[in-house]
Amino acid sequence: MSSPETGSRHSFHRDVEVMGTVITIDLYGGGARDEVITARRVDAAELQLQLADEIFSTWKTQSPLSRLRRGDLSLVEVPDEVLDVLEACRCARRASQGWFDPWSMPGGVDPTGLVKGWAAQRALNELRGLDLTGAVVNAAGDIASFGGPDVGQAFRFGVVRPDDPMKLACVVESPGAVATSGTYLRGNHLINPFTGEATSTVSATVTGPELGLADALATALAIAGRAGMEFIDALEHYEGLVIETTGTYVESQGFQMLENLLI
Amino acid sequence: MNYYFGVLSVNVTVAGSKIVKVTIGSINDGGNYRSQSIDQMSIPQLEQQAIAAQSANIQGVSGASYTSAGFHQSLQSALTKLGL
Repeated sequence: MSSPETGSRHSFHRDVEVMGTVITIDLYGGGARDEVITARRVDAAELQLQLADEIFSTWKTQSPLSRLRRGDLSLVEVPDEVLDVLEACRCARRASQGWFDPWSMPGGVDPTGLVKGWAAQRALNELRGLDLTGAVVNAAGDIASFGGPDVGQAFRFGVVRPDDPMKLACVVESPGAVATSGTYLRGNHLINPFTGEATSTVSATVTGPELGLADALATALAIAGRAGMEFIDALEHYEGLVIETTGTYVESQGFQMLENLLI
Repeated sequence: MNYYFGVLSVNVTVAGSKIVKVTIGSINDGGNYRSQSIDQMSIPQLEQQAIAAQSANIQGVSGASYTSAGFHQSLQSALTKLGL
C-alpha cells in the first residue's frame, strides 16, 4: 500500500493489470540514483507476471496450459515454466497431504491455485539485489515480499475478515509470503479433492518463505478447515490460520499474530 | 456489469472527493464454479486500498476476493457517474 506511515520508506508503486486482476509492486528504500536500474528491474518483474498469464491462463484457449489440458500439447512440448509449476504442484500436494491436488480438477490438471503465487514470487525475485530496504508484490491478496518498510523492520500485512472483507481480522508480521484463500466472497468455489465436491468453509491464511507453496497451502487449508492444521504443523517454516464461519480462530503451533482485530 | 463469472455491481460511498467505502452491491454467478482456485484469481486493488486506509501501519492486505476486471470496471463506471 502506498499510504505513508511512520518508519516507512515507500519509494515506488506500480499497478500491473494481469491475470484478470491487478497486481501491485511496491518498493521501499533506495534512492533516485538507481531510478533507471530500478525501472528496468520492475519491468522484468512485470514481464514475469505477463509471461505466467500467457502460459497458464485457462481462459486463453491457445495458452500452453489450455492446450496441454486439451491434449493438443504433450509434456515434452510445453514451456519449461509448465514443468516447473507441475513440479511445484507435486511438492504442494505432498506437503498438504493431498488436500491440494490440481490433478483432481474437472477438465484436466489445473495448477491455478498455485500459479498466481508462483508468478508473484518470480516477479519479486527480479527485484532482489537492488539497493532497497524491501519489496512487496501483492497478487490480489497473495503477497510475496522481502525485507521491510525500513531498515530493521518487517512488513506487516492485514488479513481480511471473512464476514466483512472491507475490514481486517488481524495483522501478521511477514516472514516473506502471506497467502489467503477462502470461500467467503463467492460461495462454494473450492473443491475437496477427496470427494470432488465443492466445500463451504472459511478463510485460510498461510505464511512462509515462498508464495507459490503458501498459495497452494492456503487453498488446501481453506478446503480442509481446522483438520488441515495437521499438515501445516508437520511443515517447517509454514504457519496457518483458519477463521471459521463462527468467527473462531484456529492457529498452527507457531502462528504469530501481531494484532487480533476481532477481539 | 458482466464479468467472467456472472453479473456484479459495486457500491461506492464518497465523502467530499474521497472514497470511504467500496462494497459489492450484488453478485450473480449463476452457480458457476470453475476451479478450486477461482477465488484466488483476484482482489481488486482499489478495494484493498480502501481497507488498508482503515488500518494504519500495514503495507498490504491478504484476502481472497472477486475476480476482477468486472469489479474494476464496475467501480470505474460508478466513479464516472459520480463525476470523480
